[in-house]
Amino acid sequence: MDFNPCMKHKVIRKSVRAFAEAELGPIVSDLDREARFPWEIVEKMRPLNFFGLQVPEKYGGAGLDSISYAITIEELSRVSGAMGLSITVHNSVGAYPIVRFGTEEQQKRFLPSLASGERIGAFCLTEASAGSDASGVETYATIDGDEYIINGTKIFVTNGGVCGLALIFANTDIGPDRKAPSIFIVEKETPGFSVGETEDLCGMRANPVSSLFLEDCRVESMHLLGQAGDGLKIGLESLDVGRLGIAAQALGIAQAAFEVSVRYAKERQQFKKPISRFQTIQNYIADMATEIDAARLLLYRVCAMKDDHMPFTAEASMAKLFCSRVARKVTEKAVQIHGGYGYSKEYDVERYFRDAKVTEIYEGTNEIMQVVISRSVLTRPS
Amino acid sequence: MLNLIVCIKQVPIVSELPWDSKTGTLRRELAEGMVNPSCKHALEAAIRLSDQHNGKITVFSMGPPMAEEALYEAMAMGANRGVLLTDKRMAGADTYITSLILARAIKKKCPDFDLVLCGDQTSDSETAQVGPQLAEELGIPGVTNVEKLDLSTHTLCLERQTDDFLEILEMDLPGLVTISPHYYVPRHVSLGGVQQAFDYPNVDILGTDDLELDPGLVALKHSPTKIIRVYSPATEKENIVLKGAVKRIVNELFDRFGDRIGGAMGKDLKTHDHP
Repeated sequence: MDFNPCMKHKVIRKSVRAFAEAELGPIVSDLDREARFPWEIVEKMRPLNFFGLQVPEKYGGAGLDSISYAITIEELSRVSGAMGLSITVHNSVGAYPIVRFGTEEQQKRFLPSLASGERIGAFCLTEASAGSDASGVETYATIDGDEYIINGTKIFVTNGGVCGLALIFANTDIGPDRKAPSIFIVEKETPGFSVGETEDLCGMRANPVSSLFLEDCRVESMHLLGQAGDGLKIGLESLDVGRLGIAAQALGIAQAAFEVSVRYAKERQQFKKPISRFQTIQNYIADMATEIDAARLLLYRVCAMKDDHMPFTAEASMAKLFCSRVARKVTEKAVQIHGGYGYSKEYDVERYFRDAKVTEIYEGTNEIMQVVISRSVLTRPS
Repeated sequence: MLNLIVCIKQVPIVSELPWDSKTGTLRRELAEGMVNPSCKHALEAAIRLSDQHNGKITVFSMGPPMAEEALYEAMAMGANRGVLLTDKRMAGADTYITSLILARAIKKKCPDFDLVLCGDQTSDSETAQVGPQLAEELGIPGVTNVEKLDLSTHTLCLERQTDDFLEILEMDLPGLVTISPHYYVPRHVSLGGVQQAFDYPNVDILGTDDLELDPGLVALKHSPTKIIRVYSPATEKENIVLKGAVKRIVNELFDRFGDRIGGAMGKDLKTHDHP
């Protein structure tokens, strides 16, 4: 058991950190304030393989292992939670399902443009009456010869406003009076595909989360991922990977909040000494450091399980549950350490605080994480 | 094929420099390392030359075993192979012994080189000596603080800024240049580049015996330079309050600090009479 990062992981961290600090650092507050997606940064990220983190090299990806993937998302999110979100969603639930479940024909057709960032990926499960309960999906794909016709409305789609390719959860008929969810790969220029208004959200404001409308969208049957009715299986496995990404994102936000808090506690003078000399602040810092360390170890262990081809569904949920909680708690303490300044938009901690909260909600709420974990624990033979 | 060599140094990350307050020295063993910023500019210059002239790049570094990481970083950026010179007997080498060892390693591993590129100085010691000394040891021409390179056949055209002059020089190859950190802004490392560097590792690790250096050589003992002490320079702040009418304050301000204000603005304020 070796807990030291290997040389490759150190170089990955250093490289992503250097990029994020140089390119995203100077504009991250503006992006949040203007709720603007930074296309100019996307152009810089494309040749650096940020859009094909785990896509095989033959399709233009970097072919990274899962710990490298987590470190990449962590370091991007340490500077910009919203760009960390964009990249992890694109890679984990946009590209990964095609890498894992796509036919060679689908991989050849769709992966190169995803891996190069020419098309940004989105994953569309949530609807007005479906989210945690995937069986509530009302979007329907009816078969018509060699084509499917898709109708429905998806909401809260991360990357929705900028996506070039979306994986759509839609019910299909799989037998007489039997329907089941399937997943379709839909390109944005498909007639009938349109994007709604960008949501006005509390955090992650640089990511254009929006609704997507599908009105008589016709796609060839080769756009069906896996078999008809495989939607839940593919979706759930992809979400396991997505959860590792969200855990990494939460960890990056927590790390950022922790670093600025330590710096501030050493600088801020009250009663003629730095507030870091007060035991209350020391206790806060100690708890933050401990929780972040534990979160990081848990996340990397689950990433290693995935790469070792071990089952990791419950563990991915644990990592997501724990890291997002740590992010919420650490950013809340960071605001507290900063006092009034922490509540001001002049300081970054206010943004970290807003960005952190949603990590407990999306890619499966933490309550759903508890369902997944407890089910795994309680069904084990005792 | 253009055969390029880049010499790089791993230096401590400045923001993480832990100082020992008792001895006033750097606790290097605690600091994370990075490629010296100026060396990255030299590497960028080499990559662009290599791309233009179908070259190959060998990166040399001397340092502790952890400096291997810097070589992988260089290969992730675009270098083809790395050579790490590491040995306890090399520890504590000054710039003279460093350039002597580098020269020996280059002659052994890459004798048919065309051009050696170095950064102009390192962020941790800032002597700017290794480049020129290495040119001496290799017996080749060397030009320091080069801003731009242009290669035609076997002559290198160089530009460098000296005071207020732009110097344009020509140099026959093989030669050595040190690159100043202006024109060649280093590219970001691609993640696929990192993966490839580790998928196809190509780093040789050599010690003093491999280089057939004098068996009696102990860098710390034989370095002519002795560092007596490393410390942060003490700076003092002084608050000066100018009092009186605005006109008088402004006049006094320029009388007392005109040189420094003008220096910061790049203008000679003395030539303008102020009323």
